[in-house]
Amino acid sequence: MVETGHFALVLSFALALVQTLVPLFGARTGNPRMMAVGGPVAVTGFALTAFSFAALATAYASSDFSVASVWENSHSLQPLIYKITGTWGNHEGSMLLWVLILTFFGALVAVFGGNLPATLRANVLAVQGAIGATFFLFILTTSNPFARLNPAPIEGRDLNPILQDLGLAVHPPLLYLGYVGFSICFSFSVAALIEGRIDASWARWVRPWTLVAWMFLTGGIAMGSYWAYYELGWGGFWFWDPVENASFMPWLAGTALLHSAIVMEKRSALKIWTLLLAILTFSLSLLGTFLVRSGVLTSVHAFATDPTRGVFILCILTLFIGGSLALFALRSSRLTAGGLFHPISREGALVLNNLFLTTATATVLVGTLYPLALEAVTGDKISVGAPFFDLTFGPLMLPLLAIVPFGPLLAWKRGDVFAAAQRLMAAFALALAAVLVTALFVDGASVFAALGVGLAVWLVCGALTDLAVKSGAGSVAPAIMLRRFAGLPRSVFGTALAHLGLGLTLLGIVGTLSFGAEKILSMRAGETIELSGHTLRFEGLYPAQGPNYSEDRGRFALLGADGSTISEITSAKRFYPVRQMTTTESGIKTIGFSQLYLSLGDEATDGSVVVRLWWKPLVTLIWGGGLVMMAGAAMSLMDRRLRVGAPSRRRKPTGAVPSAGLP
Amino acid sequence: MLFWVIAAILTLGASLAVLLPLAGGSKGASAAGDHDLEVYRDQLSELDRDAARGLIQPAEAEEARAEIARRILRLGNADPAAKAVGPSTTTRLVATVAVLAVPLISWGFYSELGSPDLPSQPLSARLAKNPADSSVDELVARAEAHLAANPSDGRGWDVLAPIYLRMQRFPDAVGAYRNAIRLDGESAARQAGLGEAIANAAGGIVSAEAQDAFEAALKLDPANPKANFYLAMGLAQEGRVPEAVAAWQKMLGTLPQDSLWRGAVEQALAESANKPVAAGEPAKGPDAGEVDAASSMSPQDRQAMIETMVAGLDEKLRQDPRNAEGWMQLVRSYVVLGKADQARDALNRGIAVFGPDSEEARKFTAFATSLGLTATE
Repeated sequence: MVETGHFALVLSFALALVQTLVPLFGARTGNPRMMAVGGPVAVTGFALTAFSFAALATAYASSDFSVASVWENSHSLQPLIYKITGTWGNHEGSMLLWVLILTFFGALVAVFGGNLPATLRANVLAVQGAIGATFFLFILTTSNPFARLNPAPIEGRDLNPILQDLGLAVHPPLLYLGYVGFSICFSFSVAALIEGRIDASWARWVRPWTLVAWMFLTGGIAMGSYWAYYELGWGGFWFWDPVENASFMPWLAGTALLHSAIVMEKRSALKIWTLLLAILTFSLSLLGTFLVRSGVLTSVHAFATDPTRGVFILCILTLFIGGSLALFALRSSRLTAGGLFHPISREGALVLNNLFLTTATATVLVGTLYPLALEAVTGDKISVGAPFFDLTFGPLMLPLLAIVPFGPLLAWKRGDVFAAAQRLMAAFALALAAVLVTALFVDGASVFAALGVGLAVWLVCGALTDLAVKSGAGSVAPAIMLRRFAGLPRSVFGTALAHLGLGLTLLGIVGTLSFGAEKILSMRAGETIELSGHTLRFEGLYPAQGPNYSEDRGRFALLGADGSTISEITSAKRFYPVRQMTTTESGIKTIGFSQLYLSLGDEATDGSVVVRLWWKPLVTLIWGGGLVMMAGAAMSLMDRRLRVGAPSRRRKPTGAVPSAGLP
Repeated sequence: MLFWVIAAILTLGASLAVLLPLAGGSKGASAAGDHDLEVYRDQLSELDRDAARGLIQPAEAEEARAEIARRILRLGNADPAAKAVGPSTTTRLVATVAVLAVPLISWGFYSELGSPDLPSQPLSARLAKNPADSSVDELVARAEAHLAANPSDGRGWDVLAPIYLRMQRFPDAVGAYRNAIRLDGESAARQAGLGEAIANAAGGIVSAEAQDAFEAALKLDPANPKANFYLAMGLAQEGRVPEAVAAWQKMLGTLPQDSLWRGAVEQALAESANKPVAAGEPAKGPDAGEVDAASSMSPQDRQAMIETMVAGLDEKLRQDPRNAEGWMQLVRSYVVLGKADQARDALNRGIAVFGPDSEEARKFTAFATSLGLTATE
């Protein structure tokens, strides 16, 4: 089984090479048979990669220590679920997951791409094949998950304990679905550049892919942030860690791409810009893969380090980013620009959005790469953390967030800011009220808190206003309004939900940062601690034994006003003997949208324990907002209009043009 | 064999995926223009919907309609549909190369990277097979699995402990001996084994903890050779070489002729004549050349050379004091040379470097105590 999986992987590499060269040649020479090769080969390549991945997962599940990567990252005593998730909890396996998703998306294009022009489809699959081939080669030569050990050791070295967690089981697949989803947008862009023309159906295809990738990336980042929050025991949700930035940059660029693709799809404008943005977004995804996988960073993500890998990924990076940008420089002048619009219009608002988002991406890029560059040149190790990003990223985001509610209310081609502002009066009044309430009753000292809450309320109400206006609030009877509301296109709901989710996330961030409280003290059993109106009693430390760890569980009782126990919170210090590592299991109690967060420190010789307790108001909204954004993207994906675009051969093209459309 | 069959089938399937589209009939792909037209038509109807909802003003909608119509007109003089071509020479050539490339590349690469003869080895299957066919590792893993399920099986620990010792898994051996003693009570063999495991886990140094175990063994069996041997070794390490030699001599007198310990004792005696420290010499000691030189010198010269080496180490630690191993080596060297004051001085300096509350300081103190030395006088 193991060797069959290995062979299937090699076979996928061979097929990826064929998928690159034959359709490309076919598209150049106009040979439909060669162009048709791309589809079946892409599907077969996916099937073989999936088989290979299944073989590796089986080896992990059955603790086959004759496979080197299983020996390095698994242990026979691990629970089965972590044996399986260990498949992608290490460098080799996660790269295999990466190409699995890549070939999966390629196969989707092959299966559902029947309505694409044949040359475009062939070129897209060829580019997709090229990406696949280089990564297959990377895996086979530098990080082969099927390397064997003979004789096989009898016990493995255990998976890194901080990765033995459900959050980490879900986070990488989601993140990779996002990263790799953008490869399709990239392939479409490069295919258009190779052809030297952008078909009208191009944007129709790129937008849903962008949506899919963006949706998964949003989920992956939210999941990763939540994992870091509860597993690392620091109670923080975002650290501006380079690994986090590596996933955040494609998200920012992808958000810009999502918006510019709307303009392109609806109005055929911003074609060249959208194309460039698609290339940049995937380039940032590749850069993220490079940063995490090459080991140039030493951070909380304790993953593989090996210079040969770094150099190889750097070559891939140069090949694809450099190659596509060179192609862009050569060919973009041949592409025709599209529709016209006034600066004050939906298009104009989306351009503004793109300006802000790309600039924000650039600041994050600088903040992430500058320390690395400095270290490479001078050897000095500096860390660029929250202060830098607060000063650069923050001021860029504030105006962008402030204008978000205007965008959906502006008309295409020529909009009316005044009319949009009038419609937003109610939302503005509510936001102002939120600012006043916060300043007067909650926290008068912090301008940031008051304005932040106001901005969040502004975003949420603005999104709701958009829905209300589009269903005709104020001008039609409630019954008709309800009917129109139900009849709104799904994409309108998608926009509103995504913007609403953004507001919720902002509210969560502001709430946690401004109104949170923290206490650190040394406690003995029986003592109580009080924080922001919540009283906890420390019940004591109890030893417990897990399947592959031992732990000291600290039990805490949450007390009600009358001193009775409402519920129990448990935080633990776990010791994993195989890796000789200790992890902290934080104790979390969710109250409404807020959380009490508890983490155990060291035990002193006199039996007391250092306890850190945080009160985190509205903190769950940070990730809840992410879920709402994902729901928005899913809603938008279900929109009817994204399914159109296939020429029906039964209809005669000439008679079908509506006469009203002719000048 | 089965592997090769599956590999051949997979290769065949992959080759067919390449071959079939190339050999199949041309489907006569629709022209790119048709696709564009469909999109434009859809844009027009969407424009109507937007205009009805008031998302675009009537005048702008009219303008947009004109834009789309111009694009549709432009389509008329675009490229005609791709011709349906029959199998040409180029197609045949490409087909041949592509189809051949799949097996050639995959089998070529695999023969470099793969291990086709190595079967999968799921752990459960390895542990389930006949014990007679199992390797020692597998037997140990089996015993470990059994003990993980029945941790109070003293006999199991008793069996496993000496095996760990032989496999050089010393920390595991310490735990196993402790469990066996806790569950099945003391015996000379268990206590002596525990002492041996502790000493070896510490790199061969007979610490106070190991001495306790050996002494417990001697209480139960005063003639236990392992305990006697290691206790003498401990004496030698503390620099009490004459006493160690005496103890070993005494062992030689009492051990039966066929005892396996005779060889070890004789070797230890021989080494103690050449070297001041018989066992527990850490890797950073003098290199072989220096030792050779030392053994061919007169006793005075040898003493002088050893003192030079120790002084060198002392000097090195003054330059680079954060070297815990080095400090312990220096302390022991002074003890071996019989310079208790200097040993104590080195110990205090080492503790000062790391701070009196540090992990290292505690280690130093424990180590010094095991050599019969206290930190401050």
